[in-house]
Amino acid sequence: MEQPTAPLTSDEIRSLVRPDHVHRRAYADAAVFQLEQERIFGKLWIYVAHESQLKKPGDFVRTRLADYEVLVTRHTDGNIYVLQNRCPHRGARICMVDRGNSKVFSCPYHAWSFRPDGSLASVPHRKSYPEGFNFDDPANHMQRVGHIAIYRGFVFATLNENPEPLKDHLGQMTEVIDNLVDRSPAGEIEIADSSFTMEYRGNWKLHLENAADIFHPSFVHSSSVAPARRAPPNASILDQDQTREMLAANGLGYEEWEGIQLNGYTGGHVYMNNIYQKGVLTNQDTDPVATRYKAALTERLGPEKAAHVLGMNRFNNIIYPNLIINAQYQQMRVTIPISVDRTLVQIHCFRLKGAPDEMFHRAVRFLSTLGSPASMIFSDDMEMLERCQQGLARDVGPWIDFSRGSGQERRGADGQLSGAASEMPMRVQFQAWVNYLTAEAA
Amino acid sequence: MLDYATQRRIELFLLEEARLLDAGQFEEWLKLYEPQGIYWMPSQPGQTDPLNVASIMYEDHAILSMRVQRLLEARALVLTPMPRTTHLVSNIEAQQAGDGEFTVDAAFICVEHQADRQRIYSGRHAYQLARRDDSFRIKLKRVALMNCDGVHSPMAVPL
Repeated sequence: MEQPTAPLTSDEIRSLVRPDHVHRRAYADAAVFQLEQERIFGKLWIYVAHESQLKKPGDFVRTRLADYEVLVTRHTDGNIYVLQNRCPHRGARICMVDRGNSKVFSCPYHAWSFRPDGSLASVPHRKSYPEGFNFDDPANHMQRVGHIAIYRGFVFATLNENPEPLKDHLGQMTEVIDNLVDRSPAGEIEIADSSFTMEYRGNWKLHLENAADIFHPSFVHSSSVAPARRAPPNASILDQDQTREMLAANGLGYEEWEGIQLNGYTGGHVYMNNIYQKGVLTNQDTDPVATRYKAALTERLGPEKAAHVLGMNRFNNIIYPNLIINAQYQQMRVTIPISVDRTLVQIHCFRLKGAPDEMFHRAVRFLSTLGSPASMIFSDDMEMLERCQQGLARDVGPWIDFSRGSGQERRGADGQLSGAASEMPMRVQFQAWVNYLTAEAA
Repeated sequence: MLDYATQRRIELFLLEEARLLDAGQFEEWLKLYEPQGIYWMPSQPGQTDPLNVASIMYEDHAILSMRVQRLLEARALVLTPMPRTTHLVSNIEAQQAGDGEFTVDAAFICVEHQADRQRIYSGRHAYQLARRDDSFRIKLKRVALMNCDGVHSPMAVPL
């Protein structure tokens, strides 16, 4: 891989972003990517696991944190740890599976064994190691990531040695996590065992921008909208029309844009209000499953609070830099940058404990319809992101326009509000991007 | 064991399906399915549950027909240019499964060419077929992709 020679200066970073434009290097320059790994994915709070994956001591999940591969573990002391997946002895990767349960993590090379908190449990042939070899020396442990914080079951970690409190970073976005958890009649959610990991040959920011863009669906997804509109309703024996409605929903036109609001916050977080009111997972009164579910939720929360929880209709809640939550549909996406032009998207769904089983079946189908490799929606998005990257890789232009709706936003103390057609979310994301990338040297 | 003629007819039916997909005759392909027929591509090895576990595809005739229309729309980004495929079906083992019904196991390889890339899919097919007139109709086709739980790029044409 091409290695950048000198890190970019803060002035160079600032020169890449204008109020209404961004330079193509933000997407295509490996030196920029290096800095992002260091100052965004290496400094901000990053989602690493959900607590429902870590119920018992020894439970673990393997994931990425910035440039590193880490294990998120539950130790016998009840605490969660995030460990570098690397043996301190010779540097070998230790764990080669994405999740499981293990009392010890044993390096297959010379069999150093570690507890789920990273501490060294044993080495074979102890007597051949020097007298002063110290089991308690952290240099002999799987290296711990220093800071972990949990918000209502969502586990975040950061490589930042002096991070702000997680709640400060999440800001208003705690409301969407609250809303997702509060939708459970038992007050608890579980992440589904099955998920998808998709790969596209493009920069990670493209996915974030696409998720905050309500302008593109009627163009990008027209080949799915048209067949869905022509198809007879309720023809499927499998899904109460869910797939057809999801495909058709991408055809929203200018009149549907009217009620939609985009919200952007200074930290780079973005979400949409009042989109997509149809379908079996939305707040409908006619469906017997929804009726049973609402009754269960009302029993726990009372009618007023239950109505409030179910009434929250926020789509694609993007927690900067890489977490997207759709509470209403029990969905979550995690964007994982691999290189400047290669990105993974992990797509998950949740079970609302105490809700009818059918609610989970619908969330699973939503996951497949939107996020499966064969999705008739997301596959076209990814194709579009790849085409952007292909164009941005070439030294043409070089400025990318995001001026739509500029000057029409309403500005508040901590963010902005705009109509559906605005590119305000991109402007907010890039302003945050500059702030994060230049914070270190300020 | 099935008589040779029936075994051969089943083999030819599977080859016809592969040929229709390669030829881009997706509407004809869909006619091979029963009105309540299901196409199932699990996301996990050995997956038995299509409701609680996500599938790459779990679609009945009604959903498949939207997929087919999309394949014919010629506007789908991921289908531009239209991928060309070669579907190979082999190791075909058929068994009687009731009156006029059969289960069929087969191995498959599909090579897909699109623009500047070529991809290979492989795995096992498991069919439930019903005899209809001179031919068969698909009640269920389960496509166990070998890398079903791996990292994927968009998949365009049915396997």
